[in-house]
Amino acid sequence: MNSPSLLSTINPATEPDKLDSVERAEIDASTRGPVLLFFGTAIFWLLMGSLLGLISAWKITNPGLFDSISWLTFGRLRPAHLNLVAYGWAVPAAIGVGLWLTARLCRVPLLHAKLLISSAIVWNLGILVGLSGILIGDGRSIEWLEFPAYATPILFIAYACISVWTIIMFRFRKSGHIYVSQWYLFAAFLWFPWLYATANILLVWQPVQGPAQGAINWWYAHNVLGLWFTPIGLAAAYYFIPKVIGRPIHSYYLSILGFWSLALFYSWNGMHHLIGGPFPAWMVSASVVASVMMFIPVITTAINHHMTMKGHFEALNWSPTLRFIVFGAVSYTVVSLQGTFMAIPALNSITHFTDYTIGHAHLGLYAFFTMIMFGSMYYIVPRLVGGEWPCANLIRWHFWLSAVGIILMVGALTLGGLLQGLALYDVASTFRSSIEFATPFRVLRGISGFILMGGQLVFAYLFVQMLLKPGSQKKSPAHFDKSDNSSNDSVAI
Amino acid sequence: MTAGIILLVFGFVILSGSALLAICWAAKSGQFSNITEGAASIFDQDEPVGVPTDRFPVKNSQ
Repeated sequence: MNSPSLLSTINPATEPDKLDSVERAEIDASTRGPVLLFFGTAIFWLLMGSLLGLISAWKITNPGLFDSISWLTFGRLRPAHLNLVAYGWAVPAAIGVGLWLTARLCRVPLLHAKLLISSAIVWNLGILVGLSGILIGDGRSIEWLEFPAYATPILFIAYACISVWTIIMFRFRKSGHIYVSQWYLFAAFLWFPWLYATANILLVWQPVQGPAQGAINWWYAHNVLGLWFTPIGLAAAYYFIPKVIGRPIHSYYLSILGFWSLALFYSWNGMHHLIGGPFPAWMVSASVVASVMMFIPVITTAINHHMTMKGHFEALNWSPTLRFIVFGAVSYTVVSLQGTFMAIPALNSITHFTDYTIGHAHLGLYAFFTMIMFGSMYYIVPRLVGGEWPCANLIRWHFWLSAVGIILMVGALTLGGLLQGLALYDVASTFRSSIEFATPFRVLRGISGFILMGGQLVFAYLFVQMLLKPGSQKKSPAHFDKSDNSSNDSVAI
Repeated sequence: MTAGIILLVFGFVILSGSALLAICWAAKSGQFSNITEGAASIFDQDEPVGVPTDRFPVKNSQ
């Protein structure tokens, strides 16, 4: 299945659908090594990062927990959690999904697998160095860029290989038309190294002075979400929703409009993190306006996904991929609209500096991005290992633990954050009371962390099973049984 | 400091320039014309429109 000459060995008289199937299987097989390596390491760091997050969550309500161990102090744990889930889990998961989608959409077998494998190894080495740096106390006090200066060049070099690879793949693509997912992927793969390099040069190697540091910090931190994680998540949604249900996207025109308006407005959004800070008013105002303009790409995407799904919602019963991806797509709409409202100064003055913001961050990175990555992996991995997932019920457990866990976490942080913010805003109320308002919600958040972690452990188990002994083998390459989709297994939800 | 600002300006010019070039190229080369065909480009004769491609595993699922 790995041999590139497989296609040519097929009798030219073979019917065309067989040829399509073989070509697709060949492309899928060519991505196996690098994609599985990125996925495997991503899942490992997800578990580690979540564990650190869980300990930090419990330390907030029990400050004395592990206080004799310096590397488990909150000031190190919390940035270690953020950087592990962002750079250890989310980036490699996005790269893995991006590599597979790029090869499929370009309709060419993956080129230069060795380059990608080396990139994965170097990237993970960088994560290890960065994590150790933070835990031994070398972390920097720049949110989203806490990895010490000696770790960032390693990460940049690893990532640069991926960017070069995307350009090569684009250059050698066989498909004439550029599908909307490809716009998102190509842009994201080029935006991220630019963001990362610019932020590191201006904050670490040749640091700018004073408030400009804050501006660059938030320009980077917001764009990493908007110009890297968001486009990859949307690229996957725009591919998998139509592909799984077998229906073209409702309005292709809207999807293109959504892409270009996202590219235009998102990069202005970062300064809304600095409302009330010592910045020129025009910077913050321009950012607030751009945040409101984000309605355009968000609403177009929401309408498009909803209209594509309309009449096909029963598909959520039988497709694990769709279940995760639709959950993620709905969360994208919710988190983006919430973000727009949070940028409005009247609401921001209450929610800023409270748990509300933490809830928003988890809604974005977990309910939207991570769920879409899980869904994509459920589609991709069987096509790489040539067998089905071993157990349908475990997939259902993974979904429900993740869904319930994240809804509980975001709900608790949002409500707790609002109460905390209102107490902070009230001159008659003490600071202490604002903490007390938030405490029960913080305990709930800690519990939701356990639920989420349970789902991740189920997924990690399934993934390892797939690598060691995948379920029933497929009759023909990547040719999944399409008949009888409404069979009786849809009864179990 | 100066080198940083030069990098920022160059990065901005190159990136927005290439985005502008990309949208012009896309319009010129007909990427925005055949909209219906574009939406269907992820389907082929083997996985055509109307055929779902994913489901929960049935065997070994108990």
